[in-house]
Amino acid sequence: MSAVEVGNRGRSGPGSARGVYAKAGVLPVFEKQRQRFFWLLLAPVLAILGVVTLLPTLYLLITSFTPLNLANPATAWDFSDPLVNYRTLLTDDRLHNSLWVQAKLSLVTVVLQLLFGLGIALLLNVRTPLMNALRTSFLVPMVLPPIVVAIIWKVLYSPDISPAWWLFQVLGWNIQTPITNAAWALSAIVVADTWEWFPFTMLIILAALAMMPEEQREAAVVDGASTWQLTWYITLPYLKQTLMVAGLFRLIDSIKTFPLIYILTDGGPGSVTEVSNYYIFVQSFSFSYIGYSSAVTMVLLAMIVVLSWVIVRAVSGGSNGDQ
Amino acid sequence: MNSSKTGSNKTAVDTAVSAGVFRRDVLRVALAGSAMAAMGLRAPAVLAQTKQFSGTTLRIAAFQHIFHTYIQKLLPEFEEQTGMKVEFDLQAFPVYNQRMDLELSTHGSSYDVCNITHSFSGRWISAGWMTPFNDFLSDPNKTAADFNPDDFVSGTQVAYYNDKKELHGFAWEAGAMMMAASRFDILDKQGIAMPTTLAELTEVCKATHNKSGVSAFVVDRLHHWNFPPYLMGFGGKVFRDPPKDLMPVLDSPEAIEAATYYANLLSNYCPPGVLSYTDDQAMRNQLAGRANLRINAMSWLLPLAKSDDSKVKDTVRFALMPAGPKGSFPACNANAYGIPAGSKQKDAAWAFIQWATSKKTFEKTALEMGGLATPRRSIIEDPRYKQALTINGQDIAAMYLDVLERSGRDGYMAYRTVPVWPQAGEKINKAIERIASGQADAATSMKSAQAEAIEDIKKAGVKL
Repeated sequence: MSAVEVGNRGRSGPGSARGVYAKAGVLPVFEKQRQRFFWLLLAPVLAILGVVTLLPTLYLLITSFTPLNLANPATAWDFSDPLVNYRTLLTDDRLHNSLWVQAKLSLVTVVLQLLFGLGIALLLNVRTPLMNALRTSFLVPMVLPPIVVAIIWKVLYSPDISPAWWLFQVLGWNIQTPITNAAWALSAIVVADTWEWFPFTMLIILAALAMMPEEQREAAVVDGASTWQLTWYITLPYLKQTLMVAGLFRLIDSIKTFPLIYILTDGGPGSVTEVSNYYIFVQSFSFSYIGYSSAVTMVLLAMIVVLSWVIVRAVSGGSNGDQ
Repeated sequence: MNSSKTGSNKTAVDTAVSAGVFRRDVLRVALAGSAMAAMGLRAPAVLAQTKQFSGTTLRIAAFQHIFHTYIQKLLPEFEEQTGMKVEFDLQAFPVYNQRMDLELSTHGSSYDVCNITHSFSGRWISAGWMTPFNDFLSDPNKTAADFNPDDFVSGTQVAYYNDKKELHGFAWEAGAMMMAASRFDILDKQGIAMPTTLAELTEVCKATHNKSGVSAFVVDRLHHWNFPPYLMGFGGKVFRDPPKDLMPVLDSPEAIEAATYYANLLSNYCPPGVLSYTDDQAMRNQLAGRANLRINAMSWLLPLAKSDDSKVKDTVRFALMPAGPKGSFPACNANAYGIPAGSKQKDAAWAFIQWATSKKTFEKTALEMGGLATPRRSIIEDPRYKQALTINGQDIAAMYLDVLERSGRDGYMAYRTVPVWPQAGEKINKAIERIASGQADAATSMKSAQAEAIEDIKKAGVKL
């Protein structure tokens, strides 16, 4: 029995232990000892979590209320105008543009990764030695270090060294590289990001498909359902929750996209591929505006938390995941 | 060219004075010690005492560069002489700058010597993160009589003074912008000479672009390095009057005209995809003979004549940066060794810097090992150096010295060494990309750059 189960059981439902004890007005000694024991077990993990995640976040929040600039250490504890960064970001057009670029990039890459992941998972969901080998080979982009993926695509997109552009030249086609074309630069990032991460969604969906009970499909086949009908009416409804979880993971991860943009476009041309975390990077490490970039980070963090909460609610059907 | 003649006999001190940097203070503190030592009043203790730093381990941080490889080869001699052990920590250029920025801002003592990157010099020095050298230079116990700080060409040293005229670094490498044609034969075939003005440059590009499958021009994506010489050539500026007045002037009519000109070169006469080119990619295009003209620091152009990978050794020609309507302003930079303020082994650090930037060491690195981007005049004027830099009958050493002196004398590189340069430089990059990729016309893009630069500079607390 897990701590969560025990905790849920402890809630004051009519038949719960707590409910019975609450009626009696006391908790027996054993129940108190058990709760204390659980907290004792959780304490080291909570302490580590607090140090590793909460303290830096708290520091980030505090710093966001200062104009901290590394070139001027005196600004570290300057709280004379604590909301200056938050006022500035309201009128920062480049930040607003980066949020819009981020939204486009996240939406398109997540949808494409789900579609490709689903399609290939359905095709590979056959247990044969060939399919097993193919399944493994499809995972290669995901396990490569992100910087290596970025370099592979940089080579592919660079006309003077790209095998693709060598072929275009042989064919007499004059094609401009997408990474320096304002209309196509973001698409170039989308393609590379989708290539890198669709194996992740594919893997999750394949795992779900492996757990899928065969009875419904067999019954439908007996009733004369076509392959399309089997997929649409049985497989996809079964995968709905899996797709939502995979989408949530990818959505959160897509907001962290960095190496592809750093290597391929440097946020350009101009700012057409500059996403929010890249903008934060520039403000922090090119200009040393730690205070301002902390404020932008806090806003981004809040947006991710809200978005995650909304999606978790949607996945769990509004049940808060505890039923 | 007159300017180079008038400046050719000036010392670093003299020429920097004319740029409004310093005079008496430096003459007093820098030369007094060495003069005393020269008169034999006292031998420099640091060098006289053998193994004075026995047991000391000196940590040095810098970006990866061939000069450090040369120095590492020569280190045994220095370690034997002083008794100290020297460890280098070398990183890629952008990684080094960001890490060192953080390290210096915390007054860390991890490193005893570090490279002061030219474009960060104003920021690191004005913030008090580096150690002034004046006390070392004025102490004959610590500085050898023959060190001769005046031997450094002025353009290589101006960035390393603060507003109190204190010197914080000695250059180990210098960059002087010039032009190279990898396939001069294409120009020659049409009876065209190397362009001397920006107007001529456009005409040459028009006449030679895509002849024999060769792009007429190539640049890398560091527009904040490449573009300002064009900007100044058209009469524009990055800041109104650096370092005193840091109001950017990126939307002036001159700046818009220069941006139009420069973006036109990128859009019409460069290889496809040039907006994503790194400096190495641009050089490789020239080495392979796929792109012809390039304007950049000499270090990026010499491989055309010296590298084993070069297919254009016989056809390469050099020239000074073409002049704009308002003159010629070839960029010049230098990277220097300095001592972080947090270092706890400053005497040992100074002993290393003195040795690594001495004439004897440069004789070995420049004349014997091939590191030709050297900052000392005595080396540049050495007949062996001149011989090494005579390429296809051209005296490149003279052009190199001319650019180094010109920038030091006229002080026009001041824009690049102010603390808020990274903010303005990044806006230049973005603006040029917007124009060359067709997202905006020059006027709109430069106005946007101006507004963004003002906003970002204000965040640093600068009153505009």
